Amino acid sequence: MSLSKEAQTELTRVAVFAGQILHQHGAESRLIEQTTQRIGLALGADNIELSVSPDAIVITSLSDGHCVTTTRRCFDRGINMQMVCEVQRICVMAEKQLLDVRDVKKRLKRLIPFKHNRWLVVLMIGFSCASFSHFFGGDRAAYWVTFVAAAIAMILRQELAHRHHNPFVNFAAAAFVATTITSLGVVFEAGENPQIAMAASVLLLVPGFPLINSVSDMLKGHINMGIARWVFATLLAISVSIGIVASMTLVGVSGWTS
Amino acid sequence: MIELIYLLLVDAWFAWIPAVGFAMVFNVPRHMLIYCAIGGALTHSSRFLLMHYGIPIEWATFIVSTNMGFLGLYWSRKHLIPRPVFTVASVIPMIPGSYAFTAMIALVEINTTGYSLALMQLVMENGLRTLFILTALSFGLAIPSILIYRGRPIV
Repeated sequence: MSLSKEAQTELTRVAVFAGQILHQHGAESRLIEQTTQRIGLALGADNIELSVSPDAIVITSLSDGHCVTTTRRCFDRGINMQMVCEVQRICVMAEKQLLDVRDVKKRLKRLIPFKHNRWLVVLMIGFSCASFSHFFGGDRAAYWVTFVAAAIAMILRQELAHRHHNPFVNFAAAAFVATTITSLGVVFEAGENPQIAMAASVLLLVPGFPLINSVSDMLKGHINMGIARWVFATLLAISVSIGIVASMTLVGVSGWTS
Repeated sequence: MIELIYLLLVDAWFAWIPAVGFAMVFNVPRHMLIYCAIGGALTHSSRFLLMHYGIPIEWATFIVSTNMGFLGLYWSRKHLIPRPVFTVASVIPMIPGSYAFTAMIALVEINTTGYSLALMQLVMENGLRTLFILTALSFGLAIPSILIYRGRPIV
């Protein structure tokens, strides 16, 4: 199939837009690569080559020996699996020839990131960390102290993220607040072993998704993406522990290393 | 025996909550949350069972996350949805967050209070445990696409 110059440029733009959405919402590199290539091939390119790097993607489409190359910066817009699902669905529909270039572009442009109700998330995260305190062997007092601390830390995290604060500052602040609240539990001797609440209440700040993505990227051959995600997750963990240490020094309670 | 089943059920009950909680942070679509809950409860309670019979935590994690990878494969082909949507949220309750933070905090303490063998032991033991559990977790989830699909798309 032979494409005009304009058609090939348009196709490349649509494919790179899909890849950009996937990259910004936390898909793993293999998925970004495959989905972008599949959309490009489904829309009529002979071949799609792309290079995924931590903050940009570069894509080249080939048709009749002509190449069109384009680059897009990818700013992190937070993990959103709903967007990844939608792009995947558009890709499958394009492969079944149900959509042409214009439809794919229209649908991709129409996507709005879905967010769960924030207060519901706060409630569930509170109960999640409280469940972790149960796994660590905490009693009922530790359960509720963890619930309160984790819920307040989550509210702070959402507020700071909403105002586009730096993630490292955000995580350190949330860890500081959670540890301060739970170390008050230690000061006032809530229950048998209130130190457990200190360990459980900061688990909402574990960068689990970047860590898992990082290892699976490295396993599947995207070493530099994997290293970038690993370093990002490690820096997040370091800023969380600095928040914890600052709070423990201030309140004068040690719950972790003793 | 009855007691073990009771412990398993309690474990499964407390494991589905973090799976759904973190799935909501990752904005998993609403009608997929039930699968994250089932996955979280199944994986964490079966790891509890394996560790009850004396299997080390890394190997137990690897076995259950491999099973979760295959379960995710089935669900993802059924609903035409990428696999990480189910699998990552389901294994979140098993992420060694507490070990990771202990290692980091011990590092910060070494800086402030000076080197001591006890602190260095905390750093190494917790750090290595984090590394191995995490690798087991991701490797297990990736097993279906590494061994069976080998580069072909799943959905």
